[in-house]
Amino acid sequence: MTKEELKDKVLNLSQGMLTYSDSGVFDLMFEVKPENLTKAAVLLRDHEELRFDFMNNITGVDTGEHFEVVYSLASLSNKTRLDFKVVLPYEGAKLESLCEVWKAANWHEREIWELYGIDFTGHPNLTRFLLPDDWDQGHPMRKDWDAPDFVRMPEL
Amino acid sequence: MGLIKKVPVYAERIPGGGIVATQLESLLSHSQACSMWYLLFATACCAIELMCTGASRYDFDRLGMIFRPTPRQADLIIAAGTITKKMAPRLRRLYDQMAEPRYVIAMGGCTVKGGPFYYDSYAVEKGIDHIIPVDVFIPGCPPRPESLLEGCLHLQKKIKSQKLGDWHEK
Amino acid sequence: MAELRTEEFQVNMGPHHPSTHGVCRLVLTMDGEKVVAVEPVIGYLHRAIEKICENRTYPQCSPMMDRFEYVTAMSSDYVYALAVEKLAQLEVPERAEYLRVIMLELNRIASHLIFWGVTAMDIGAYTPFLYGLREREDIIDLFEMTCGQRLTYNYIRIGGVSRDIPKEFEPKCRAFIKKLRGKFSDYEGLLNENPIWLARTKGIGVLTPETAISYGASGPVLRASGIDYDLRRDDPYSIYDKFDFAIPTQKTGDCYDRFIQRLDEMKESLKIIEQALDGLPEGEIKAKVKPKFKPPEGEVYSRIESARGEMGAYVRSDGTTKPVRVKLRGSSYNHLALVPEICTDVLIADLVAIFATLDIIMPEVDR
Repeated sequence: MTKEELKDKVLNLSQGMLTYSDSGVFDLMFEVKPENLTKAAVLLRDHEELRFDFMNNITGVDTGEHFEVVYSLASLSNKTRLDFKVVLPYEGAKLESLCEVWKAANWHEREIWELYGIDFTGHPNLTRFLLPDDWDQGHPMRKDWDAPDFVRMPEL
Repeated sequence: MGLIKKVPVYAERIPGGGIVATQLESLLSHSQACSMWYLLFATACCAIELMCTGASRYDFDRLGMIFRPTPRQADLIIAAGTITKKMAPRLRRLYDQMAEPRYVIAMGGCTVKGGPFYYDSYAVEKGIDHIIPVDVFIPGCPPRPESLLEGCLHLQKKIKSQKLGDWHEK
Repeated sequence: MAELRTEEFQVNMGPHHPSTHGVCRLVLTMDGEKVVAVEPVIGYLHRAIEKICENRTYPQCSPMMDRFEYVTAMSSDYVYALAVEKLAQLEVPERAEYLRVIMLELNRIASHLIFWGVTAMDIGAYTPFLYGLREREDIIDLFEMTCGQRLTYNYIRIGGVSRDIPKEFEPKCRAFIKKLRGKFSDYEGLLNENPIWLARTKGIGVLTPETAISYGASGPVLRASGIDYDLRRDDPYSIYDKFDFAIPTQKTGDCYDRFIQRLDEMKESLKIIEQALDGLPEGEIKAKVKPKFKPPEGEVYSRIESARGEMGAYVRSDGTTKPVRVKLRGSSYNHLALVPEICTDVLIADLVAIFATLDIIMPEVDR
């Protein structure tokens, strides 16, 4: 299946839930509204022509203007790959958890919750993960994050 | 007496065998220096170099150094690899669990001063010398096994030169 | 007779434990010798590599990648370089691609040799550790004569490789291939049919294909469960489509299969290295990349087959000299998430075997 065919197929099958985004340089990139996330994910996983059964990665991104959560998927049977992302505002960033759809999502979501402060509703175990147990300095991967002992590399 | 001060071991042949006279001090420190059992405290990249040093080619055992999995049996911590803020209290606790006399080798740039993670990292402890006292620093990212062996020889020298009861005041 | 009342209790395994391959803490709920539940606690090696990369220029990020996955540092260098090359649509010279493949495969063998030795050591056989690291030193010598480093190579850079191989590399590499081929019978003779080894690994920690896929397991772990999927063939990167190699798979997905799987993979890697040495063309080794290199705006996720499985790098650019976000995906991350699933109702000694054969290393998890 070529990329163009896959793109058309996804756009047709999703009936507007997934829209094409041209920010993906190499693989296909789609955008999903937060409220359609679970529906779109289940469609991508279960539709027999798509079969994206393998979750590669979830990335939280702070672009400086808003949050984005980028999901990378692959299909082991069709040997295809695509990404899709959800754009979230800073205030009250909240998403549905995809742990039920792909079990691999569990730890990735937990990490994003901790480092960015994006809440995942329906996640079974949102507890301290990478940071020390007594951490009280907020979400360090945010662009505006700072702390007294945080030393930035000086510009040369 | 003057002779013994200069030469730590003094052997004299007597009929039917020999006696060796030495100072208790040099006997103790010599045997201590030649059997430093180290705690396998390997966290990051340096761990692999520590493993290589312990394996076939570099053969740590010839210095009398054998790894121990528990601090109760160890004389020496080789802190190999980055110590993060989450790990720092554990390092302190392991050090506290060791019996005196105890020594520490800080292996690699991260344990010296944070190494490549000095800038821009919110999670890395910048040097282990403010968690536990360090005897020998070995720079490098990671140090070669030869550097580690050199560091151990330096530590041996230090142990051999110490006076009885030195560690007690530490 | 009245039934004996037993009580569950908790044991902390780690964060400093010799068989957790780094600093992972497992909170075990035990019923006697049986493990009832496992909860991994991670983050003891979280060094914020991703945060550091946000304040570095693109070429400055690449030394960080060596520290992300130091056992196969070539792979992690490569996955980042591949992502940036995709972003900037850089053409890489052919000689550089050949050199990369040679180094990646040598590094895969080095990693599997460590796996072979350390797994055996965890389960109770010390000799393989000494044998495995002895052969690994020969590979390290090859790397050292090429790039001067033993562990953190920083050899694969954006646009190519940092320097050409010296003249004596090729004969030494061929000699090593011959030597290692001769050693496989030793390796197999040591453990493969040893009754104690079989009792410790056969039927232990069975991973079904469905669980493996849903948890995102990849690489040798996935193939040991019987799924024929290898990115070198199924999503070819670099010049892997030019080489002829088989992809071994196993059937049951227990500890023994995962162990054998990696031994089989080493043999295939040797074939690839031989073909790459035969076909090594002359020419440039690096595309021109400025120090103030600015890829165009966009985002990309690149993935390769490292020794442990799928390694990925998500890189996002806003057109400046520094990336907005670099996210690294290590396969151990997903494999460690599998541990609570397959480690229920096993003996604590088997837990060590399962942990070892999943080949989890912690920097990949914590980053």
